[in-house]
Amino acid sequence: MNSTYEFININPQLVTRKTELIMPYRLEITLNPDLFDAEGEGVRRKAEHYFGIEIKQVRTINVLTIDADLTADQLNTIQTEIFTNPVTQISSYKPLSVEFDRVIWVGYRPGVKDNPGSTAVEAIEDMLGIKFKQDEDVYTSKRYCLKGKGLTAGDVEKVAGELLANDIIQRWKIFSKQDWDPEAGTGFIIPKVVLDHTPCVKSIPIDSDETLKKISDKRNLALNPNDIPTIRAYFLGKQVRAERALVGLSDPTDIEVEYISQARSDHCNHNTFQGLFHYKDLSTGRTEVVDNIFETCIKEPTLSLKEKKPWVVSVLWDNAGAGRFDEDYYYVITGETHNSPSNMEAYGGAITGIVGVYRDPMGTGKGAKLIMGGYGYCVGQRDYNGDLTPHLHPRRLLDGVIEGVRDGGNKSGIPTTFGQLIFHPGYMGKALVFVTAVGIMPARIKGEPSEQKKTSPGDLVIMCGGRVGKDGIHGVTAASEIFSEDTPAGHVQIGDPYTQKKMHDFILEVRDLGLIRFITDNGGGGLSSSVGESARFSNGCEIQLEKVPLKYEGLDQWEIWISESQERMTLAIKPEDLEYFLELSKKHAVESTVIGKYTDSGKLHITYNGKTCAYIDLDLLASGFPQWEFDAHWQSPERRGLFEPVVREPHDYEALLTDILSRPNICSREWISRQYDHEVQGTSVIKPLVGVGRDVNSDASVIRPVLDSEKGLAFAQALLPTYSEIDAYHMTSCTIDEAVRRLIAVGADLDMIGGVDNFCWPNIQYDPEDNPDGRFKAAQLVRSCLALRDICLEYGIPLLSGKDSMYIDGYLAGRYGETHKVSALETIQFSTISVIDDINKCITMDSKIPGDLVYILGETWNELGGSEYYEHYGYIGLNVPRVHPKQFATLYRALGSAIEKEIVASAHGIYRGGLSVHLTMVAMGGDLGMKVDLALVPSNSVNRIDTILFSESAGRFIVTIDPENKKSFEDIFKGLPCSCIGVITNKSGDLVISDSKNKGKSKTIISIPVQDLKAAWKKPFKDLC
Amino acid sequence: MKMVNALVLAGYGLNCDNETACALELAGASVARAHINSLIDGSVPLDDFQIMVFVGGFSWGDDHGAGVIQAVRLKTNLGDKILEFVDSGNLVLGICNGFQTLVNLGLLPGFNGDYKTRSIALTFNDCGNFRDDWVMLKVNPSSPCVFTKGFDYLELPIRHGEGKFYSDKDVIQRLIKNNQVVIQYALPDGNPAECKFPFNPNGSINDIAGICDPTGRIFGLMPHPEAFNHWTNHPDWTRDKEKIKRGGGAADPGATAGIRMFQNGVDFICDR
Repeated sequence: MNSTYEFININPQLVTRKTELIMPYRLEITLNPDLFDAEGEGVRRKAEHYFGIEIKQVRTINVLTIDADLTADQLNTIQTEIFTNPVTQISSYKPLSVEFDRVIWVGYRPGVKDNPGSTAVEAIEDMLGIKFKQDEDVYTSKRYCLKGKGLTAGDVEKVAGELLANDIIQRWKIFSKQDWDPEAGTGFIIPKVVLDHTPCVKSIPIDSDETLKKISDKRNLALNPNDIPTIRAYFLGKQVRAERALVGLSDPTDIEVEYISQARSDHCNHNTFQGLFHYKDLSTGRTEVVDNIFETCIKEPTLSLKEKKPWVVSVLWDNAGAGRFDEDYYYVITGETHNSPSNMEAYGGAITGIVGVYRDPMGTGKGAKLIMGGYGYCVGQRDYNGDLTPHLHPRRLLDGVIEGVRDGGNKSGIPTTFGQLIFHPGYMGKALVFVTAVGIMPARIKGEPSEQKKTSPGDLVIMCGGRVGKDGIHGVTAASEIFSEDTPAGHVQIGDPYTQKKMHDFILEVRDLGLIRFITDNGGGGLSSSVGESARFSNGCEIQLEKVPLKYEGLDQWEIWISESQERMTLAIKPEDLEYFLELSKKHAVESTVIGKYTDSGKLHITYNGKTCAYIDLDLLASGFPQWEFDAHWQSPERRGLFEPVVREPHDYEALLTDILSRPNICSREWISRQYDHEVQGTSVIKPLVGVGRDVNSDASVIRPVLDSEKGLAFAQALLPTYSEIDAYHMTSCTIDEAVRRLIAVGADLDMIGGVDNFCWPNIQYDPEDNPDGRFKAAQLVRSCLALRDICLEYGIPLLSGKDSMYIDGYLAGRYGETHKVSALETIQFSTISVIDDINKCITMDSKIPGDLVYILGETWNELGGSEYYEHYGYIGLNVPRVHPKQFATLYRALGSAIEKEIVASAHGIYRGGLSVHLTMVAMGGDLGMKVDLALVPSNSVNRIDTILFSESAGRFIVTIDPENKKSFEDIFKGLPCSCIGVITNKSGDLVISDSKNKGKSKTIISIPVQDLKAAWKKPFKDLC
Repeated sequence: MKMVNALVLAGYGLNCDNETACALELAGASVARAHINSLIDGSVPLDDFQIMVFVGGFSWGDDHGAGVIQAVRLKTNLGDKILEFVDSGNLVLGICNGFQTLVNLGLLPGFNGDYKTRSIALTFNDCGNFRDDWVMLKVNPSSPCVFTKGFDYLELPIRHGEGKFYSDKDVIQRLIKNNQVVIQYALPDGNPAECKFPFNPNGSINDIAGICDPTGRIFGLMPHPEAFNHWTNHPDWTRDKEKIKRGGGAADPGATAGIRMFQNGVDFICDR
């Protein structure tokens, strides 16, 4: 049998159906000619900005291709009653005559989720009181009519292929005036999936390690070579073979091997973090073995903190961590990345990312309601015009990502309250998309603790939400590999917040009725992960795979099992609750299906139409697999040749500050915050943008998630990847410190802060050719994790949740046909969250009232290494900022106490860019002038003005207070670095920075109207909205 | 005091149901949050209520036009019941996606008692994007609108991608003449925005942010009164608090403008 094994085509061609019996109908809809077409104008503007292509006008036409047997009357009814707005639109079943020089038609490829197509079916069925037959459907597409005299075929091809469509998920056709037939229009293009394939289970030969390795490569399983002997040993075991013979199996089936591959992937199993690191400091020769950084740097510290902090409810095992909000509620939080898919298809990857992370809280405990989201984007320079050609230009990638998270968050009805954006050339190799989700759940549900859940023998396995298609197959294993042009595109999908929002509302209703015994989401690995993991509680399950609802026929069994089709949850319920459960599911228009039951057999048992196709011990994955090993060689920054640059002090500080404010990583990103709904749910207390002009970034966001309570949740995040160029230990400690300080600045209590770590690291496995600096990157990872442990223990921050995403590298084509490996900076995003006892005492960062005193808390050191200032000159430097957690914590508690006493008018941390940039922020926030003396800034043997102005030393704040409170404020900070450096002046005044100790001609260093500084800060992205 | 029962629609991608219910409760109403399908199948009877609120959100994902499919579903399954509800002198409020639904149902503008004709559109913002911001609104003192009694100006957040109020000139003129234009986007100093972005955030004709029917009992608006349910929702609250504190005053100014708008509705039902 083994010798006759043949590989089936794992990505069968999705074929377009020829129109047969039913005539499809094509309804074209467009705005009245005299109405402004905002979408078309957006296309016109982007074509000009992205490519310098001048188009005179773009008009958009929405196309519905109705592949269903409808009468003329029915067609007329849906045209006028549903799809055409009588005030603004015109429509026709014949091609509309809209003026053009070129037409671009863009539609989805077969199998890509067409959300508006699905809602069109729903609306037609409802209005006409009919049900679509199985092979009937509606498909949406767009026709763009471009006007412009000089438009070349090349221009139009560029606009089509690089702006309007992404060839991974869409296809397009271009028509010139000559080849346009006004009767036939675009023709009928029906992206229906017809798989000419009968599902079958294949047996996988395991006669040798090499055979299995070959199959792994061919099937794109990404099995680790070290795992192969363990897998073979299991299936060759005598007892296993005997048991398998009883159910008609011998060698492993494809579904079993796919299941093991998913579960053993780095994405699901975190093999890197559980690896064995041989760490060596090449300067000192000191060696150390770090066994399992997850265990030593994350789990142990968090468990020891949980002992001391009764508010930590549930950590380290569920989809998200939980902390106590009050007696009646727990909050839950987790963070994810969705990097690989977003690099392939920015919009689809990002919307799938945000909608996907929102399922984690839904699948935490017995289910949480979503209340807040956050984002972090790390991309190449927006205006990059060098020789490297990434799959998507950073500008296009960023636009797509921003829009994906916008639609995913806004349509989920969840406020997106905080976010960050970092530009760095390293992210050309792989851009990063961080998404964070916060939820809330009642502490008890029908008297039972909400954070606990389990499956029991006899419970039904329910799949709820969307249907299963080929989408997302091998997404998990692709995320565990380095991105290249060969990466299969099948794992790109488009998240559907609408379907998920319905499911969310349904789940909350059945949760409150006590019907949910267990719930988890279908994310990476699909059913294979969710059912596999939930079955470990009862210790077994039997799944009837033919019951899983499919989007289209023809999927192989293994594809159904591992498909990552989105918007699905797996639940366990008691059989006696089924009827009520399904009734409520129907009310919410959510599909729920029983696909099997939980058992205590110890086996994962899958059948398809009665025939066993998988029979595997559940504990196989928990035992016997070898630990991954890494060599980690640390070379100190000095040894790597880093040094402090020789720069003499500048003279023109006004121009310098103005230019730094316009740098891409400092300047305003208002356009992103404004397109994200940050106030839905009515909970907003501190918004992402604050101040008189409502346009300066707040330190953190605060919401009031329970509307009849005065308690709040403060949330912030930090990213400081450039410090990794010097030492990832300090990158990590400074990132944590910034995220903590951000919460302190709005009024949080240090003792209530929880954290979420999201690691994104380049490949750390040494390879002399492919990854010559792998050992150094591994050492950076070890050092980063040690910093995480040290700082979290010192500050007392339990890690409520965390994830790692390795392999943030890419191979980019260069000018001459060569390729370059580009690795991103070692990056950690740290998120912080804290309960606020009384939101009425929260403060914002903007200066409030003329005459208020300006204080600096914390010391400024000579720490320009990795700073924005050095980067401005093209240097890295050596003196990276350091965190002194013991001293800082004392200061943070003192500030907390001052805010609690309501004697602080504003507080703002000093972050990237240093003192000068953040004094500007405070002044801009209040639209008030400010006069400060640098000689008064608490500093540690710093004698240069540029160092004081731009050093990025951690642990510092700018605070303004009512002069009336001077004494009580200073009393709190006795013995701590705290100094009054100046005063807030008049409305729309100047920022005046002087140095009374300056020996030069003028003591005034900077004197610029705050409005001018704001104009400089807003300039780079001012045209975006 | 008479019990005022308010119905808040939910489901199918709507997402402001919780805070709208909360705002109505703060305004003194007894509130039921019901799934659209529960209303359609009769398990929640419309007759039990005096105020019906179409809330914000993305019903049916806003595919095929914001509020369009919600209107189709309600018209197909409940059309006459909703008309009876209006005829009985009750109140209907549509916020954001709810306003979009009301114009697609034809409940607005409701000229001469015609509650079926679509003559107004809320279409894509001129800025080409979804936008979340607070706006200054000028209230028409001569409008019959029940919900805005006693207001001259108010500040509320807007959060939409399709909020541009559009209709032909005749309809606009008629709305103005009938005093059916209830609120208009204004500059921070209260003067008309005159389509100036971002004060008029979407390019609405005549800065129109909300209209009512000729009776004043049906009101649709793009801004979100329910998202101003607590004084800390207002973007200036920390500055206002500091100023009031310096003047020796207490910070929390009582019911917010958003809640007072709902109270007007509750009071109307109590007094009728």
